[in-house]
Amino acid sequence: MKNSKILWLLGLVLVLSAFLAACGGGDDTDTGTENTETEETEGAEGAEGNGGEPDSVQELNLIEGAEIPSMDSSIAEDAVAFNILNNVNEGLFRLNEENIAEPALADGEPEISEDGLTYTFKLRDANWSDGTPVTANDFVFAWQRAIDPDTGSPYGPYMMAGTVKNAKEVSEGDMEVSELGIKAEDDKTLVVELERPTPYFMSLMAFGTFYPLNEEFVTEQGDKYASNSETILYNGPFTLTNWDGTGLTWTMEKNPEYWDAETVQLEKINVDVVKETSTAVNLYQSGEKDRVGLSGEFAMQYAEDPEVVKELEPTLFYLKFNQERNGEETPLANENIRKAIATGFNKQDLVDVVLANGSLPANYLVPTEFTFNEAGEDFRDINGDMLPFNAEEAKTYWEKGLEEIGETEVTLELLGGDSELAGKMDAYLKEQLETNLEGLTVNLKAVPFGVRLELDEAQDYDMQNSGWGPDFQDPMTFIDLFVTGASHNLMSYSNEEFDNLVEQAKGELAQDAEGRWEAMAQAEKILIEEDAAIAPIYQRGLMSLQKPYVNNIISHPFGGDYSYKWAYISGKE
Amino acid sequence: MARYIGKRLIYMFITLALIATFTFFLMKILPGSPIASADKLSPEQRAVVEARYGLDQPLPVQYFDYMFGLLKGDLGISINQFKGANVTDVILSRMGPSAQIGFQGMLLGTVLGILFGMVAALRQNTWVDYGSTIVAIIGISIPSFVFASMLQYWFGLKWDLFPVALWKDGFMSSVLPSIALAMFPLATAARFIRTEMIEVLGSDYITLAKAKGASGSEIAFKHAFRNALIPLITVLGPMAVSILTGSLVVEQIFAIPGIGEQFVKSIMVNDFSIIMGTTIFFSVFLIVVILIVDILYGVIDPRIRLSGGKN
Amino acid sequence: MTQNYEKLPQDAFTRIPRDTQEAEKISKPSVSFWQDAWRSLKKNKGAIISLILFGLILIMSFVGPMISPYEPNDQTITHANLPPKMPIIENLGIMDGVGTLGGREVDLYEMKNVEQNYWFGTDGLGRDMFSRVWKGTQVSLFIAFVAAAIDMLIGVIYGGISGYFGGRIDDVMQRIVEILTGIPNLVVVILFILIMDPGILAIIIALTITGWTGMSRVVRGQVLKYKSQEFVLAARTLGASDSRIIWKHLMPNVLGVIIINTMFTIPGAIFFEAFLSFIGLGLQAPDASLGTLINDGYKLIQYQPHILLFPAVVLSLIMIAFNLIGDGLRDALDPKMKD
Repeated sequence: MKNSKILWLLGLVLVLSAFLAACGGGDDTDTGTENTETEETEGAEGAEGNGGEPDSVQELNLIEGAEIPSMDSSIAEDAVAFNILNNVNEGLFRLNEENIAEPALADGEPEISEDGLTYTFKLRDANWSDGTPVTANDFVFAWQRAIDPDTGSPYGPYMMAGTVKNAKEVSEGDMEVSELGIKAEDDKTLVVELERPTPYFMSLMAFGTFYPLNEEFVTEQGDKYASNSETILYNGPFTLTNWDGTGLTWTMEKNPEYWDAETVQLEKINVDVVKETSTAVNLYQSGEKDRVGLSGEFAMQYAEDPEVVKELEPTLFYLKFNQERNGEETPLANENIRKAIATGFNKQDLVDVVLANGSLPANYLVPTEFTFNEAGEDFRDINGDMLPFNAEEAKTYWEKGLEEIGETEVTLELLGGDSELAGKMDAYLKEQLETNLEGLTVNLKAVPFGVRLELDEAQDYDMQNSGWGPDFQDPMTFIDLFVTGASHNLMSYSNEEFDNLVEQAKGELAQDAEGRWEAMAQAEKILIEEDAAIAPIYQRGLMSLQKPYVNNIISHPFGGDYSYKWAYISGKE
Repeated sequence: MARYIGKRLIYMFITLALIATFTFFLMKILPGSPIASADKLSPEQRAVVEARYGLDQPLPVQYFDYMFGLLKGDLGISINQFKGANVTDVILSRMGPSAQIGFQGMLLGTVLGILFGMVAALRQNTWVDYGSTIVAIIGISIPSFVFASMLQYWFGLKWDLFPVALWKDGFMSSVLPSIALAMFPLATAARFIRTEMIEVLGSDYITLAKAKGASGSEIAFKHAFRNALIPLITVLGPMAVSILTGSLVVEQIFAIPGIGEQFVKSIMVNDFSIIMGTTIFFSVFLIVVILIVDILYGVIDPRIRLSGGKN
Repeated sequence: MTQNYEKLPQDAFTRIPRDTQEAEKISKPSVSFWQDAWRSLKKNKGAIISLILFGLILIMSFVGPMISPYEPNDQTITHANLPPKMPIIENLGIMDGVGTLGGREVDLYEMKNVEQNYWFGTDGLGRDMFSRVWKGTQVSLFIAFVAAAIDMLIGVIYGGISGYFGGRIDDVMQRIVEILTGIPNLVVVILFILIMDPGILAIIIALTITGWTGMSRVVRGQVLKYKSQEFVLAARTLGASDSRIIWKHLMPNVLGVIIINTMFTIPGAIFFEAFLSFIGLGLQAPDASLGTLINDGYKLIQYQPHILLFPAVVLSLIMIAFNLIGDGLRDALDPKMKD
């Protein structure tokens, strides 16, 4: 499968069709998607610098929202670390400027066996930042380290189990790490064996957990490995410097050993952690920082600013309906009650007024503009909108549901995050639902993330405002969250038909792209429209201010959030 | 004196041990898990991670392990905030900026507060008095985060006098945070000094000094001020507490890599070792301040018997 | 001289009878301790103005949400982020519904076609700030008063017992207080709020869990001072029980200090509640307190100052009022301060 080439083509088709749509109109659904596409790019171009000649000083000043908890690619589990890893290290593949996985350390596309189970990668000549070459064994070491239960890697087993051969058994301690499906045939040849055909395997290779590690260096450093910027080896476009392991500041400097160093234009990126949005905005205004993310009220204030950059992320937020709490059925076990809530709040007002950051109202599970088939059609186009806001229908569902459960009043708890935005959003949902559904009382409960996880695990909640971002570029990253007994389900949702469809898509249909999509789309329809197992709320948009002299910062839908490899400064002087 | 201090030190250690115990068990009933990606881990892996931090042990064992480590000065390893980092290192690397702005804030606040209080007392019940009282009270009636962000906006962004935030320009970076922190000590000191000065100014020896023809300023500084200063030491304790609370807010707003700034987060993410380490650090600071206050008080005011409390 | 003595007219003098009854009579009207305190408090202009001011705020905190046509939690999402607009005052060029949007000054009411007036404007969800501010004041005052009352109760009992019985009991009780004051209250408060379900109750309990130590220390000091004085000794000699001595003889003397201390606990509690909102542990949405309102507002100070302004002014007024009342009471109740 020449996955990435197809995606290339697809990108081209997309751009072309955007032009065509702009000229001739086209059919309704198409213009809908394409319009947003064009708007997005226009917005980005408008703000994304002048595209002129690069300046002589190539220095970028950025802000992060949190410290780095760990720079160890096997241990990392947060957005900050994955973002840095994406810029200071590199795997077999990398997401390019069009967000398509293209060969990075792999020298061209891998050789894939007939049955889609064996991938043979040739490695290009590349060096670590200390000058030693990156070898196939570095991958073997890294992958084995990530799956080794003793490492306690959160993402290793999560990403590999069910995909890489024997990963599950190794992670559970039933097999030796050497039995993991990865071998170094020689220094430059890497063979990976899979558990089952995985159409999106290439996009996985861009993920931090699959990056190589220099065995000798890592072993030598021992506990000290990745405890500060001196104790890490880099093989990416930049190297991390001036990071003391606990501080609020670090820099990334151009890596002269990087194989594609001539593409990299930035000499230095200065990063500071600023947790207060108001402080971050002030730093941006004073000219100390070149880019700042806007949240909540700030987004609204700067919506019309010429320096605003809007992005649509493939991250979905939804209400989880818990059907069984503490061994007892909740009112949410009733389908009509769930449907009433799912259709009982105005999503458009929510994204326009409460969020105001370019988010889209979501009536679906798999985000829009995230996955495309070979013909370049968005997965979203198959099912379109399901169970959109409709106060009238909600009322009908509600009355029917109340009758079925024999109650006139229902009190439900809504568990949410403790951020300001989450609080505001939940307050909005409470008001909407209580107004539209007579007899419903919603009690809000805002807790820190760790507590929410625990309550989630114990299934100790009624409704939960949750979010999910993709781990790889395939609808499956969203859909299989809700199969019976899945670690994310935790709401006693179970539908045999849904489970079967997911199993088919993963198993017998794995090699049949079209059938697979059909099955996944069918599953999505059952989950959202027929069962209303969850109530989608919105797909997150991101609004940032970016100085006009900053060019070509690429944002990615999964893995590390941004690439600075192609970024450059132009017109600052 | 030495015996007194020795006795106090012993008490201090007992107090600290009890504080550590108290916090330890309080923290263990905190909801939530310190393992951030708990939903991604299989039960086997979870067990591995828990074993690594000793979280699989029964509570008493964990407790004694911790206390034993504490005796050796080992504060443990951060679980998820700075994965694998030594808690002592975290505290040491974060202590400097906090100490600097804390000290500067306290110094500035106390000096200005004394000045305000003195002027107010010497011009009692005039507009100067009311003015300085109101300034002092406004200082404690605007929440520090509001005050700090106002400073940042006007002095940092609008007038460009000081850095907006970050810890990059040495002393200049510390000016606005120190001012923000100074407000509470300022207000406290001003009110305290005013009350004390008025009392001292009404006492017999001041009348005597006046009768002997001492000038106004001589009375104010030489006699009244000195005696009014002594009780100020007693409010050093509450001031120190305010600096701790304030530092948390001010460090976050000015993006300063201090110790308070990461503390709330460590609680939110249940990083037990960091919570314990920071709490103990804060407690030591507080207890030492209280001890110093007591000793100073004894040294300065001979009327206080150091053998203390009992009648 | 002596010879003229005889010449003095006899009727120029009257004899003053020695009346023992009269000698005991007090010519000034008798004033109780409290009347006296009230008299000197009345002379303190700052305290009296503060008292009136606080009274007004207290009344508004109940009346405010009622006179506003909007409920504190009702959202009119199309009316979000409106600046304040008040009839009559709008003619002065303030509170006229004009706000900045994208750097330009526009009448947002006109722009959004809003007929109604929002006196204090609206917040990001289109909730009426006027009713929210007063409702929030009510909640903040409630938290503060309850916390102060609990502090007082525990502090007085604890401090009283510790001071009165002294000796070993005092020793043990003081060590406990020492431990509690040694833990930064910040830590205890945060931990407790997280352990309990967040909400008003959790905040009150967390505030009082270490808050009472200050009161207990003051009370203990006073009890220590008074219990060795002669009147207590006299009472004891006459066979008064411990509880009688404590309640009838010691407490009236300590009361002044307790009240003063409470006057400073209340603003402290309001302030701490605001701090808790800042670190995200304040009240649960959608309820408002001064703390949560200020926390919502301070970030928007450049764009929508009204969201910060009104709650911040109310908070400051409460703080100033309590501090001045506290100062005034101290002057009034402290015999040393008598002029």
